[in-house]
Amino acid sequence: MSTAAATGSVSPLAQFWRDFRRNRVALVALAVVVLIVFVAVFAAFIVPQDPYDLKSLVLRDARRPPGYVGRDGMLHLLGTDSQGRDLLSAIVYGLRISLQMGLMAGAIAFAIGAVVGCSAAYIGGRLEALIMRIVDIQLSFPAILLAFVVAAVLGQGKEQLILALVFAQYAYFVRTAHGAAAAERQKDYVQAALSVPMGGWFVITRHILPNALPPLIVVATVQVASAISLEATLSFLGVGLPATEPSLGMLIANGFQYLMSGRYWIAIYPGVALIILIMAINLVGDQIRDQLNPRLRK
Amino acid sequence: MTDLLEVRDLRTWFHTDRGIVKSVDGISFSLGRGEIMGLVGESGSGKSITGFSLIGLIDRPGRIEEGSSIRFAGRELVGLDQGALRGIRGRDISMVFQDPMMTLNPVVRIIDQIGMAIRAHEQVPDAVIRRRAVEALARVRIVDPERKVDQYPHEFSGGMRQRVAIAIALLHRPQLVIADEPTTALDVSVQAEILKVVKALVAEMGTSLIWISHDLATVSTIADRITVMRRGEIVEAGPVREVLDRPRHPYTRALLDALPSRSKPGELLASDATEAVGRLDPSELGRMGAGAPADPKFIQMNGIDKLFARPAGMLRRLGMSLGIADAPAQVHAVKSASLNVARGEILGLVGESGSGKSTLGRILCGIIPPSAGHVLVGGEPVTQAGRKRDTRVQMIFQDPFASLDPRRTIFQSVAEGPIAHGLCTRAEARAYVERWLRAVAFDPALANRYPHQFSGGQRQRIAIARALAMRPEVIVCDEPVASLDVSIQAQVINLLMELRRHLNLTLLFISHDLSVVHHLCDRVVVMRHGEIVETGSASDIFQAPKQPYTRMLLDAIPRLTP
Repeated sequence: MSTAAATGSVSPLAQFWRDFRRNRVALVALAVVVLIVFVAVFAAFIVPQDPYDLKSLVLRDARRPPGYVGRDGMLHLLGTDSQGRDLLSAIVYGLRISLQMGLMAGAIAFAIGAVVGCSAAYIGGRLEALIMRIVDIQLSFPAILLAFVVAAVLGQGKEQLILALVFAQYAYFVRTAHGAAAAERQKDYVQAALSVPMGGWFVITRHILPNALPPLIVVATVQVASAISLEATLSFLGVGLPATEPSLGMLIANGFQYLMSGRYWIAIYPGVALIILIMAINLVGDQIRDQLNPRLRK
Repeated sequence: MTDLLEVRDLRTWFHTDRGIVKSVDGISFSLGRGEIMGLVGESGSGKSITGFSLIGLIDRPGRIEEGSSIRFAGRELVGLDQGALRGIRGRDISMVFQDPMMTLNPVVRIIDQIGMAIRAHEQVPDAVIRRRAVEALARVRIVDPERKVDQYPHEFSGGMRQRVAIAIALLHRPQLVIADEPTTALDVSVQAEILKVVKALVAEMGTSLIWISHDLATVSTIADRITVMRRGEIVEAGPVREVLDRPRHPYTRALLDALPSRSKPGELLASDATEAVGRLDPSELGRMGAGAPADPKFIQMNGIDKLFARPAGMLRRLGMSLGIADAPAQVHAVKSASLNVARGEILGLVGESGSGKSTLGRILCGIIPPSAGHVLVGGEPVTQAGRKRDTRVQMIFQDPFASLDPRRTIFQSVAEGPIAHGLCTRAEARAYVERWLRAVAFDPALANRYPHQFSGGQRQRIAIARALAMRPEVIVCDEPVASLDVSIQAQVINLLMELRRHLNLTLLFISHDLSVVHHLCDRVVVMRHGEIVETGSASDIFQAPKQPYTRMLLDAIPRLTP
């Protein structure tokens, strides 16, 4: 009763932001994510060197330590890799590709999962049972195994890799969407729409889906982070992206062989970048989850 | 003799991010030993918070403010630490809560729950616990207490669970019991029994009782004194008869006038809320059913049966054929029910929970297909191949907080049906929706807001506008006023009566509240265990019920006059 009186004209989104701001750690994580996205989008204007432009590489400057000033006067803040590429530039471009992969795969898996999960919950019966059992079987395999097999079969390339990631991850979205939608399906406002009667597709897309979104958003943040790490793993193992478009995983793989010979920076710095990115996304996701969980609400 | 409880200037405020909410703001009252006080108010009046303040169950951000005083048996309770309060709680002051489904731990046997409550204040051996648990259950008239103590809460009905909760509250023979809406979630017949049991027990033990309720009639049957609260303040207090017969404060008077049992059936109820929003404006609404020929069998429901059963899965079927598994449990919600409703009639469908009245309503609306039998409206079936055919029957739900999609604006919720069914084009939708919102006295300027910004009464009017905008001939109302405060309830009842008069709507009004049904309905159908027990005109049913079950229901209605 007290909350009803206190709920003023503050929109739910403004209130959400107000609660979010209270957690310092999540706020810093969000700033990191925003910064990384900004850097990735404007990579070409920020980095000292275009790592894809093979002409600009100086092979004699390969494997130089952080702070090394190259023969052409360029400062290599994080050193250079085995081809003489500026490591900072390579990491920024790597982040760009990793983010691209993670967001694309996450978005596609999200869309498939939301529609399939909500529809299954709405339709019910045998179709629901069939879809959910397929999802259950898929969830019983490790995601990395599924992604590895698909990536290996489809071959190298951005599109192929995204497809592999989607295949490994859509089941989580279906499961979550189905659970949330099954609960919404029972509620009076859905019954009210059915009593009009409104069509099934309308009820799914306009009523059930928007109300099933909160848990899906939480899963999405976690899954984008895990798609990025999955992609890095696949690239590290050599079934991911082609060598011409080095992602963070491939940078780590390239530096891996030098790790024991004192040239730690080639593998460590891309690794640190990867950890920071994934941690920041997960922290933001945790905070969103806590805020959307009514049990933890004050 | 000094009073048992003396409350002086009690202020319980909630310090939220959005400012201070003064739930209880400076109330004073006292309560003598063995006295029963009814604490009455509408939602948000602070009556429950008052109860929680007395036993120190206010959690942050709530706080009992400086200068408040609660003297209990000569001892000041405000400012005591939690340890000292725990020593009092359950032993000297105990509480009974509204929902008996929530207060008992579902995974702990009754005897252990009672044992925990006893051992909170006394060290006693197991044998004594058992003896006292059986005594406690016997005291609240639970049949066969020897066997019942070893059962789990789910084996008890709602009324029996509330009896257990009362038994636990009385274990230590407390001096004061606070009961927060203890019968609101129960059927009238169960409520009547609980009132009887509680009244006898507190008289026998000499316990003081604070009975918190929104229902003046219930309170008047049990209390010696009534205290009326509004917006955190006490507006009137006094002996029951004095408050009910000669209310001094206009708010108390308005509460009493809004009760359907106090006015003549079929007349508009006195309602400040109706006056505040203005009368229905029927001029723009068109004719709908008006002018249609009289039809005594406008709605025909013949031999309706409804079985709810989960289909047996593959493993279950295998188990059944081997004789090691049972068929899935079936619920026979409606058993060969037949009824006719004339055009323009309001038919009341009454019964206790589990009687199948809601299921029958949903079958008429076409949301649930019947297992057998058929439903005709105006000679045509409502459903075809299990799907609803048209929009002639619309529905209003009980809980206006659940029946509007929280993520769609009022405009979107009301407009979606008419647009989908071609009653208006997308371009006309704005004007069309505004017309229906005005009809239910809802300010169309607020149509772009979301449901959470409105009160229960406002939402229920939006839900009515949504149903009306489909230009229905029949509206099924499933307990549309059950979750509303009396003043708002009066407003919604008035609205329904006006709509029927102007639009010649046919209403199926489902309710467990017989006084509302008596006021609103032309004919009444009584259901029990899925079967129709009695049918008749409202005056016949209420003045000369034929079936003993109907008579029992009528006798159980709490009345204002003793």
